[in-house]
Amino acid sequence: MNIRAATVEDLAGMQACNLQNLPENYTMKYYLYHALSWPQLSYVAEDQGRIVGYILAKMEEDVADGDESHGHVTSISVLRSYRRLGLAKRLMIQSQEAMATVYRASYVSLHVRKSNRAALALYKDTLGFTVREIEKKYYADGEDAYAMRLSLKHLAR
Amino acid sequence: MKGLVLTHMGKRDEGLELVKKGVRLDLTSHICWHVFGLIQKGQKNYEEALKSYTQALRFDKENLNILRDAAHLQTQLRQYENLVETRHTLLRMRPNLRQNWIGLAVAFHLNGNLTEAKKVLEHYEASLKNIPDYDVEHSEVLVYHVRILEDLGEFNDALALLDVNAKSRAIIDRVAIMEYRARILSKLGLTEDAEHTWQALIEQNPDHYGYFKGFFSNRGIDLENITDETRPKALQALRDFSIQLPRAAAPRRLALTTATGDDFRELAEPYIAKGLNSNIPSLFADIKALYRDSEKLAAIASIVESRYTQLKAEATVPSPSSESEPPTTYLWTLYFLAQHHSHIGEHARAIELLDEALSHTPTLPELLMLKGRVLKRLGDPYGAARWMDEARVLDLQDRFLNTKCGKYRLRAGMIDEAQDVFALFTKKDAPSPGADLEDMQSVLFLLEDADAHRRNGNLAMALKRYTSIQKLFNEFEDDQFDFHGYSLRKFTINIYLNMIQWADNLRSHPAYVRAAIAAAEIYVQVHDDPTAASHASADSKLSDEAKKAKKKAKKAAVKAVLEDTKKAATSSANEDKGLDVGPPKDDDSDGVKLLQAKDGLEKASKLLSPLSTLAADNIDAWVAIYDVAIRRKKYLQASQALNRAQALDEDHPELHVRLVHFKKTVSTLPQEPPSPIGPVLSQASSRLFSADIALDTYNSQFLQRHPGSPKATLAFAKSLQTLGSPLEEIESTLFGLLHGEANLDHKTALNALGFLDTLSSSRREEFRAACDQKFPLSTVFKTPDETTALRKEAVVPPPEDPQLTNGEDKGEVAS
Repeated sequence: MNIRAATVEDLAGMQACNLQNLPENYTMKYYLYHALSWPQLSYVAEDQGRIVGYILAKMEEDVADGDESHGHVTSISVLRSYRRLGLAKRLMIQSQEAMATVYRASYVSLHVRKSNRAALALYKDTLGFTVREIEKKYYADGEDAYAMRLSLKHLAR
Repeated sequence: MKGLVLTHMGKRDEGLELVKKGVRLDLTSHICWHVFGLIQKGQKNYEEALKSYTQALRFDKENLNILRDAAHLQTQLRQYENLVETRHTLLRMRPNLRQNWIGLAVAFHLNGNLTEAKKVLEHYEASLKNIPDYDVEHSEVLVYHVRILEDLGEFNDALALLDVNAKSRAIIDRVAIMEYRARILSKLGLTEDAEHTWQALIEQNPDHYGYFKGFFSNRGIDLENITDETRPKALQALRDFSIQLPRAAAPRRLALTTATGDDFRELAEPYIAKGLNSNIPSLFADIKALYRDSEKLAAIASIVESRYTQLKAEATVPSPSSESEPPTTYLWTLYFLAQHHSHIGEHARAIELLDEALSHTPTLPELLMLKGRVLKRLGDPYGAARWMDEARVLDLQDRFLNTKCGKYRLRAGMIDEAQDVFALFTKKDAPSPGADLEDMQSVLFLLEDADAHRRNGNLAMALKRYTSIQKLFNEFEDDQFDFHGYSLRKFTINIYLNMIQWADNLRSHPAYVRAAIAAAEIYVQVHDDPTAASHASADSKLSDEAKKAKKKAKKAAVKAVLEDTKKAATSSANEDKGLDVGPPKDDDSDGVKLLQAKDGLEKASKLLSPLSTLAADNIDAWVAIYDVAIRRKKYLQASQALNRAQALDEDHPELHVRLVHFKKTVSTLPQEPPSPIGPVLSQASSRLFSADIALDTYNSQFLQRHPGSPKATLAFAKSLQTLGSPLEEIESTLFGLLHGEANLDHKTALNALGFLDTLSSSRREEFRAACDQKFPLSTVFKTPDETTALRKEAVVPPPEDPQLTNGEDKGEVAS
């Protein structure tokens, strides 16, 4: 599958992929906001013109006092029929690289549903994220989230 | 001012009235015009808003806020010449503001004047002082400058600017630096340097097809058009990449496209083996593009078949040796083979293979989903929905399975049941699952739901959904507005220009094209037979199911209104409602008003109008444009549409029907339209028909040119109707499809049945029964009672009592 930076033309395909796969969905305006604020951070996996996976990412805008500049994964997803190819990892690596080099992010954060064991395993075991804390009732339906982090210091140049 | 305040408070009508009064009282007040423009802008009425702003500017030429807003409106409306002027004024007034420089450069760029854009940037960069280190915004501007130079063909300057600023680290986007560098070096013919940079890009992202394309193009090899001369060179390089980048998938996959003959087989074998052993579900989707080459198809088939034979032997005689493949490989091989056979039309074989796999492992969702898909292809939407549901209940947490199941239920016309499954993942507080999916802009849901309503004969709801898709694309177009200002403040100019292009081509999206065509077809149908509109809405025609749905929708609508009033009551009266209009109230929940609209054809024409440029290679679009134009008596537009269609595929059956219709319509006009239309029309007509022959003959000749083509026969029959042939003749033509050498498929048969319906043919039932016999695996030709029963069976019954269902613990299977 072709892995490349997302263009504005890809956003509709990313939105379709997200709606098909995940319970957290966003309107086009939010995708546009990501693309037009941090054009280097979102990536897609494409199979002959069809978006089969994506990472939608941003830089955290409200950095708390004492905290460092960091990236955040708003959403990452690969269609069920395109799993086991390592696409999520490939997408994540490209985005992290850009966070570190273009925006000097010192780490990347994300949220994952407590019940989503498959995703948790991917972030933890395959990508090296660690759980920082549990955010109670983070999701609209009342489920808790793990707030996870991965340092990007090794990518700084 | 009071008007503005009232509007902010949510009392829009009252506010607007006051503002209009203000404008009337003082036509020279820039404040009144500005406020009027602001409110119009909030209503997304950009054209009128710009007019008000222009008035305001007449009386206050140098008002910064008004100028800035006007620039955004001019961009939204693509009035680039005026935009340049506005940006000029802004820059003259505030030259110390960085974004005013960029604003002017972008305005020139959009207006097609790159040279001026370049000059503005040069001035701007020369005037800059104290640029902070590591400034993303400045970096973006410099990349933009390089891009303009590249677009102008000034490659040496582009390269120099890029290199200087990359070295000083003023440009910090490393990927952008390398991409521009590689491309520009290639264009300059500095192939050796270029190759290094392409190589570096590939190492950075070894799955980017564009980088490989660039690498090879730099070596004079076009990866998409490999010749016998370039093939060995490309293949060697791809083999080298595969060794050098063992984890990258792209070079291996590209090698399969490039290789032929023995090379292909030698490369395909390990590729397929790896895919099967790693249980990769997308393996078939990945390589089926290679099937365009029949030799490759045969090679792949033989590789997988022989693997299957070997694995099957191992599976039946479990060998104690540890070297044998794990049983999952056997399963995924069956999965692959089933897709292969279904793809080449051998659906029965596909089902055999799937049943073999399912008897081995009944709980792998992929197998069940595929079985559903094969049944769908065989024309059994109810069986398909059942299998998709079986797959869904294996992993209730997976929305992908849920979406598929909902989609398949819609394909089976099970509209309520589809909502039931969608509801498991939509917001609980939404008025209905469909409403949530619409809010979340699910194109898939809107399109499938529309199609389902249409197949079920509920034209009103279908039209409502197709119109929702149109609205969705209007929304996307409006979405760009805020970014005309935002991107300049953020200096994200490169992606901003990409967005402008996206917005210009928005309606080339397949969903828009399909929805526009389908909606136009409904408008045409209702125009030709106005009773279709009243039928579709009359309760007497509704099935019990539809009645239930209607009741439910009514309930939901009442609930929504109640909630709205509740919300309004609880929200403070002083709260700022802003200037943007909220979503309008839905006073047509079942779409009947829409369907019965008097100006249906005008609506259809508007829907289709973007297609003439954005879907110009889509013959269905031209056919729909013709259908609407001819009924609106726009004869020239109609003939042009046929011309365009003819250029795409002169033998297209639906085009044939229109050609006959056109000639008949034009020749029976009471009088020739006045000049210049009349003469131009007869010219156009003679261009469309090579010889002046009788239409009956013309129609028969079409049939003779396509012996054994069911679609051509159907087109011939439709034209018979146009020409006023007796019903018996049309009927016997259609029955001819059922026997003989006619290669009838279930889809064309279904269309023929639909055509008999529109003719109110007395032999309709006979045709249906015959089709039902002819397609024993299909279920689309069943009687209404049989269909109702099939739909019931298409839903997996909920477990009666968890205590009693022992053993089958399907819910626990992990994906």
